[in-house]
Amino acid sequence: MIKVDNVTLQYSNGKGIFDVDFEVNEGQVMGYLGPNGSGKTTTIRALLGFMKPNKGACTINGMDCIKDAPEIQKNLGYIPGEIAFLDGMNGDEFLKFMCDMRGTKDLKLQKQLLEMFDLNPKGKIKKFSKGMKQKLGIVTAFMHDPEILILDEPTSGLDPLMQNRFIELIMEEKTRGKTILMSSHIIEEVEKTCDTVAIIRNGRIVKQSDVGFLKSTQRKGFIISTDNLESAVQILNGAGFENLSVVGKNIEIFVAVDQIDRLVKTISNFTISDITFKSQSMEEIFIQFYNGEEE
Amino acid sequence: MSLTLLKTNFKKNWILFIIFVGVVLMYFSVMLVMYDPEDIAALAGMLELFPEDIMEAMGFASIITDLTSYLASWLYGMLMLGLPMVYCIILGNRLVAKMVDNSSFAYLLSTPNSRIKIIFTQGFYALASVGALFMTFFSMGVFMSSILHPGLLDVKAFFKLNVTTMLVNMVVIMIAFFFSCLFNDSKRSAGFGAGVPIIFLLMNMIGGASQDLKTIKELSIYGLYDPVKLVGGGEILRVNLIYTGIIIGLFSAALYIFNKKGLPL
Repeated sequence: MIKVDNVTLQYSNGKGIFDVDFEVNEGQVMGYLGPNGSGKTTTIRALLGFMKPNKGACTINGMDCIKDAPEIQKNLGYIPGEIAFLDGMNGDEFLKFMCDMRGTKDLKLQKQLLEMFDLNPKGKIKKFSKGMKQKLGIVTAFMHDPEILILDEPTSGLDPLMQNRFIELIMEEKTRGKTILMSSHIIEEVEKTCDTVAIIRNGRIVKQSDVGFLKSTQRKGFIISTDNLESAVQILNGAGFENLSVVGKNIEIFVAVDQIDRLVKTISNFTISDITFKSQSMEEIFIQFYNGEEE
Repeated sequence: MSLTLLKTNFKKNWILFIIFVGVVLMYFSVMLVMYDPEDIAALAGMLELFPEDIMEAMGFASIITDLTSYLASWLYGMLMLGLPMVYCIILGNRLVAKMVDNSSFAYLLSTPNSRIKIIFTQGFYALASVGALFMTFFSMGVFMSSILHPGLLDVKAFFKLNVTTMLVNMVVIMIAFFFSCLFNDSKRSAGFGAGVPIIFLLMNMIGGASQDLKTIKELSIYGLYDPVKLVGGGEILRVNLIYTGIIIGLFSAALYIFNKKGLPL
């Protein structure tokens, strides 16, 4: 179990995290969301024992993240937000180094992971592409079969195919009872894998709930093309759809999921030449969510 | 201590080691080839033309005729402080601060090894490599002298000279290592790790220039280090003990600070 108990960790510039309090129960996957600079990595620093909180404490399986860090690490897999490997190493040298440092003898899982992510670890890491480095980071975090995983933006730099592979990996680990904390920017990833989410903003947790909340908050976007723009807007406004904008010859409209049916019925009242679906990005959800907060 | 990490340090840094052995080897051979007991009198005559202060500042203290003192004066007076210092500065920064600065240290800490264990391993590597450096210099000196000037080197005195010079250089690498553990920023670590030893070396040079300025030298880490006196049979146990004490003190402080501090990884 991962537990962040009322933690405040402030940097000298005044930024940091304040009264952050959450737990990830055994066998659960929690998504940790928030814009850049909101405190996700700081929370992870406290959990890894890199920084000591000014107030509160982090524990993993009941052990203190500062004092018992070496003991915790035996069963922890970690992907740093900004991966930097040791200078001048080859990929396979690095994997061997990490196995030796951890005392991992069984290399079966490592081999499976390398195959799964289609990664050939030979050659200088410095020459690897960003995606390859990320894959190497993923293999390093999972290859010793840890019970707990702390993943800081684990899919950054991966192409969509590999992002899907990663989602498969998380699903698989979840069925094997792993406890996972994962910060992310990709909404599909969180929706598909996480049981709960916590949203952090300016160093404070602003929302904590099960993942269904994301679905209900998320709005669906439609881009509707029509020959008679003016009357279309009039009809939509008349039906109570205010949240729309005219972009070029198209109408862009965002609605909550429970409004989709009404929208479709409304737009059947005018001639549509084209319609496209537009998914909302995590940032747009944040903005919408924060605006809601401020109101 | 982690043997895996020690091995990795060796793999990453042996080239640096070889470069410095090579440079010192070159100076050794030049110095030994130049040595000729009969010509040394002529050399002494020539040196008298230089102002005494300048010669002393350069560490070439007195005019000596036997091979061991010759090496102590010409090689160990300045070069064997200045050259290994560069090695110490580079290595000290590489072992900790550079890896913290580029975040790769996170991977060391994401293994079941405590900070103390990792930093102890890094510090041990620093000291062991300086030890190996001077063992190599000692063997090189003995070997080359036995070929070029058989029977002239006082091996025992030369050994003592290398032990004390090694300890002085261990103090230097521990200064660099201390700053490497203190700062999370590689630039600052390198700045202080290089700056402080260089200031000491300058104090040694200025302090050597005249009797009036002697206190300046005595305030530096080189205050107790007098290679010519050392091979002449001067007392070394106290000096060696003091240097060892400084090394242990700096190492412990580095361990303590690194264990306590926050790491922006």
